[in-house]
Amino acid sequence: MMTNKVLGAAAAVLMLGSGLAQAQETTLKFGVTRYDTHAKTSGISGVGVPAGADASVGDATTVIFVAERALTPNIGVELVLGIPPKIKARAAGSVGFLGEVMSARNVAPTLLLNYHFGQPGDAWRPYVGVGVNYTRFVDVKSPLAEHVEMSDSVGPTVQAGVDYFFNKQWGLFASVAAVKVKSDLVATGSTVLTTTIDFRPLVYSAGVSYRF
Amino acid sequence: MKMIRVLGLSLITAALLAACGGGDDPYVAGSTPTAGAPTTKGNFTAVVAFGDSLTDIGAYAPATSLSGNGQAPYFGGKFTTNGAGGTVWVENLATRMGLVITPAEVGFGTASVKCPAAASPALANTCTGYAQGGSRVTDANGIGKAGGALTVPVAKQIENHLARFGSFKDSDLILVYIGSNDVFTQFGAFTAKATQIQTAAAKGEIAQDEAQRQLFAAQTAAQTEMKKAATELSGYVKNQILAKGGKYVAVMTLSDIVDTPFGQSLPASVRPVLTDLSLIFNLWLREGLSNQPVKIIDTFPIVKDSYQNPAKYGFTNNTVPACDAAKIAAITGNRVVDGSSLFCNVTPGVPFNGLRTGASATTWAFADGVHPTTGGHKALSDAFHAQLQSFGWL
Repeated sequence: MMTNKVLGAAAAVLMLGSGLAQAQETTLKFGVTRYDTHAKTSGISGVGVPAGADASVGDATTVIFVAERALTPNIGVELVLGIPPKIKARAAGSVGFLGEVMSARNVAPTLLLNYHFGQPGDAWRPYVGVGVNYTRFVDVKSPLAEHVEMSDSVGPTVQAGVDYFFNKQWGLFASVAAVKVKSDLVATGSTVLTTTIDFRPLVYSAGVSYRF
Repeated sequence: MKMIRVLGLSLITAALLAACGGGDDPYVAGSTPTAGAPTTKGNFTAVVAFGDSLTDIGAYAPATSLSGNGQAPYFGGKFTTNGAGGTVWVENLATRMGLVITPAEVGFGTASVKCPAAASPALANTCTGYAQGGSRVTDANGIGKAGGALTVPVAKQIENHLARFGSFKDSDLILVYIGSNDVFTQFGAFTAKATQIQTAAAKGEIAQDEAQRQLFAAQTAAQTEMKKAATELSGYVKNQILAKGGKYVAVMTLSDIVDTPFGQSLPASVRPVLTDLSLIFNLWLREGLSNQPVKIIDTFPIVKDSYQNPAKYGFTNNTVPACDAAKIAAITGNRVVDGSSLFCNVTPGVPFNGLRTGASATTWAFADGVHPTTGGHKALSDAFHAQLQSFGWL
């Protein structure tokens, strides 16, 4: 449901983009992303959970692909896709001795509307963007529960970055984004544990860009 | 430009709305209620009760034979304060409904008799009290089995009813209250394992963290067994009771055994382990009975309220057993040294009176470490009666 809505909206924006296209350009980017989480949970609830039980979510690194279509000389629509990184959670608080308690991969396409400062042809062009992130957690596993499920997350995202162009085609980019990613987790084993994880990631990316 | 901005905003708005809608929240086991049980008054002709010592109406009376040869008269026989009027909750309930319930099987050791009440033909259909002290859900090896207790598990109790009566009837009020002995068994296994782990940790054979991991694993193992028992019980309710004609079926959850003198005797650190075993059982019992046409009587809050507010239920003491272990040991020639209320008679003036000096069978809540007195049973039957009325059945 959520996926459809987001994709539908994305399609609408992209179609609008092509409608407006007047000798506009497309930029493809390839880079490395550091998914630096500052996760907070709502605490872990369930029968048999000791008071003060919690989990901390680790950081992850992955490779991303970015496609941006310029709508005007200053505005572009950007889609960010990444190879789903493995994120791991370790037990914390009163149950810290349990060690790693969960792993998952997050598929997290992000659609952004960017504003690029300066003019086409400038070597340095900073940009800022706002958008929406959809995160789906797959391959969710725990040594403590036979079955773990996490709800999908849809949330706003903001980013700031800079492009540096060597020439008409090639360049480098670096960006940082803050994303709202929140998921309800239910782990079912001998007992049933529930929590809500607010990942609060800062996403640092850098890589090469190609325009055409 | 303007259009893009508007579209961008609406895109984000749509996404946020979708996030709030969140139609795909993961399922939480145990959160689906039962559904489809009768809502109208029953035309009851029998109370059919499956369970353990709490519901036992005298299965082991021969163990308390005054002459010691298994023959009547008996000085005990129920896990409460025995004597005239020493009834347990299911008898109180049957009486309020104008019905009679008698034991389905009476005996101890190798000798037992099925439906002894059938000796008088008018009572032949009253022997629907299957509950026996020590019984578990599935495992025939109940608590006290080695000492001679029959401990027919509920799985078999139901089979026995079907064997005798063929099926359940619309006019049966069917009550299922089992699982506490599975809790005791798993709790015993946990504490034995915990002792080993702590000994190893104290000797420095394993590190503290490793000890905690092992304790966690031992607790998880006990919980897994409770999940199994609860899931099996819900299966019996579905396949052996509902599928065999049961219409008015009430299934009890387990109460918190910490709320007993036995529970209070445990170190505070292990009490939550005991509580959780009941809660895990209740969780998976609920899950197993999701959408089933039965009613659940949640004893956990009922018993907790009575334990926390004794005065509200007429209790002046709920910490000390009313039966005196030393007196019972003397009466039984030291055969019974744990103060089990099965051997506790409270008739004033008789030589086999096991009531603690100054205690009361009606205003003290507990007969022994875990079982209610006559007063305790009245509180239970009052609460269960009120529940059955709230279902519209009575």
